[in-house]
Amino acid sequence: MSVISEFSFSKSFYALTLAALLSACSGTQDTENLYTALGGEAGVEEIADNFIMEIAYDDRVIAYFEDANVDRFRQFFIEHLCMLTDGPCVYTGDTLIDTHVGMNVTVAAFNAIVEDLMAAMNKAGIAIGTQNRLLARMAELREQIIQM
Amino acid sequence: MINTMKLSIAPYLLLVSLFVPCVSAHADGRIKGTGGVSSVSGAGGGGLIAWATLTSLASEQQRGFTAFTTYTDLDDFTLEVAGAAVNFNDRVELSYARQRFTIKANDAQIAQDKYGLKVRVAGDLLYGKLPQIAAGIERNRLLDPATARAVGAVDDNGTDLYVSAARAWIDGPFHRTSMLNVNLRYSKANQYGLLGYGGDDRDTRVQVEVAAAMFLTRSIAIGAEYRQKPDNLSALREDEATDVFVAWFPNKHFSVTGAYVMLGEIAGAAQQNGFYLSIQGAL
Ligand code: HEM
Repeated sequence: MSVISEFSFSKSFYALTLAALLSACSGTQDTENLYTALGGEAGVEEIADNFIMEIAYDDRVIAYFEDANVDRFRQFFIEHLCMLTDGPCVYTGDTLIDTHVGMNVTVAAFNAIVEDLMAAMNKAGIAIGTQNRLLARMAELREQIIQM
Repeated sequence: MINTMKLSIAPYLLLVSLFVPCVSAHADGRIKGTGGVSSVSGAGGGGLIAWATLTSLASEQQRGFTAFTTYTDLDDFTLEVAGAAVNFNDRVELSYARQRFTIKANDAQIAQDKYGLKVRVAGDLLYGKLPQIAAGIERNRLLDPATARAVGAVDDNGTDLYVSAARAWIDGPFHRTSMLNVNLRYSKANQYGLLGYGGDDRDTRVQVEVAAAMFLTRSIAIGAEYRQKPDNLSALREDEATDVFVAWFPNKHFSVTGAYVMLGEIAGAAQQNGFYLSIQGAL
């Protein structure tokens, strides 16, 4: 009996401590709309522009974009980012599956794009916690991009 | 003379790792840090235990190579390790490490070779529903079996088998990328095999190992590890091992890991704690 109560005491103690730590350290990041956290329209546009520059100088992925229309990519990437982060947009581009089918995106190319996006967000001054909120949502889309 | 020979691969490995940044970067298909570092057995992992992650940042269709050296300074002992590992297609890892254990009181040394094979069986560290699952085998051979015999070990060589699962959450606690790794190991090793294998006081053969890590930034990770160890020798007590670590990944080809290790009683000397420093080069 005493073992059980001690156990549940320590369990709830840890749960409380953890909850206190989490709420103290994450602040508004948890609840803040992700689009707003990225800086809204101006922030997302800056990220997209930085991202395009990162890709342009990335030997690992540039070949994929050789025939891409940069203006179209910019427009729809911004729209998609806006939708993905709960911003006030409707995505009007092609589905991710249709867009990336036949590209043979490799595991390495996907990760390279993720690193380019990290660099783009760093240059836009996005905090790492906010970056991770976005990257986790991007990761969910991976199987639509790397098609087996 | 013999003892200096025993760790003589270390300078070469160091030399190789120094040139790593100059060599072209083909095996960098995974995100920085997700290859972990080199464990004391040579297998990719944390420090005191192997992890399900395979060494280097090689992904499918890539081959990666790492070399490392590690120095641990305990109260009554030191442990020096040097080794190297290759990763084929992020599927198969081969590793080698030479360990040299020194008893400070009399400068006596025990050296050991560790050969490892680890296969990524399923899943992925970062993506998809399944954690990364790997299975590994480690062949260990003592070069100085006298001490092991003297303390009652049955063998001067042994084989460890393990299965390992690791998952990282990109948006983990505090919005920091965080990882959890759990291993189940079958082993008869006494103090990592430095005191031989098996003994007169047979203990459990299956041990649990756990590691947790968190990236504070893209370049700095902190974490802790726990390793259950068997206690097979009636003459000597053996405890579990734990550590807390900080790893720094300035780029995709180099890492430095510092740790505080708590290894418990070793060969009759109680409470062996100390500092651990490891550097790894990768290409
Ligand atoms: C989760 C990750 C990704 C997301 C959310 C994403 C999203 C998008 C979007 C919204 C578009 C525009 C669609 C349209 O024009 O209608 C696009 C186009 C494109 N994406 Fe991705 N993408 C991702 C990963 C990748 C990767 C890893 C590669 C290759 C390494 C890649 C290569 C391309 C290319 C080449 C285009 C231009 C296609 C064209 O205009 O012909 N994408 N992507």
